[in-house]
Amino acid sequence: MDDLRPHIRVEPPPGDDVLVLRGGDDTVQSLRRHAERTHRAFALDGRSVYGLSVFCAIDELGQRQLYRRLASYPVLRASSVGRVRGAGFWLLPTFARPHFTVVLVSVEADELGRLLACFDPASQNPRYGHRRRRL
Amino acid sequence: MVTVDILADLHDEDETGYVWTFLDEARQPSLIRPGTIVLAGDDDAPAVAEVIDLIPKETGTIVHLRILPGLFDDYEALVRRVRSLEDGTPGSPRA
Repeated sequence: MDDLRPHIRVEPPPGDDVLVLRGGDDTVQSLRRHAERTHRAFALDGRSVYGLSVFCAIDELGQRQLYRRLASYPVLRASSVGRVRGAGFWLLPTFARPHFTVVLVSVEADELGRLLACFDPASQNPRYGHRRRRL
Repeated sequence: MVTVDILADLHDEDETGYVWTFLDEARQPSLIRPGTIVLAGDDDAPAVAEVIDLIPKETGTIVHLRILPGLFDDYEALVRRVRSLEDGTPGSPRA
């Protein structure tokens, strides 16, 4: 099982006001499925970890990139780094920007519901259908 | 509504920069081969993707996907358009 630790970027932690986005209208069930997939694939410091991928708009380029990457989703759900961290979740800068992993203690409904509550209700994606490219 | 070939979280990217998922999340795993064009994601937000590679791991085979530009609807419209030209549908240049 691959460990996330070597894939954590060394960079200053994002500010509380940084935008956090996920495409689609997640539910507890969909979050659980995604977190379990991460749990199956990755460990953190040698222990299996539940995690959820999000994109963070850490700078202007990152914001453009993340909207392009989310072009397949008709709707988005937005939060902020402050709201996610304030709810007690770790937010690890993993792999390449603008990717982050929200670390979850479990996939119990309470835990997933607490994460969902950090996000605004789904809203229309202004970049839906725009060209998506790897940058 | 459509049915995807392989379930994936399109936010899940790893060190390759590609989206990853597990082979056993495919409806028909034998279809998932490098170079194949598939519909990935979930049924309410599918994306057209190219299978890049399959990497065996101890917990299952990881599939890397390159998400292609545009929406599934764009590809569907393209196929319909060129098929109608092929069939000589009225209004097409061959009709």
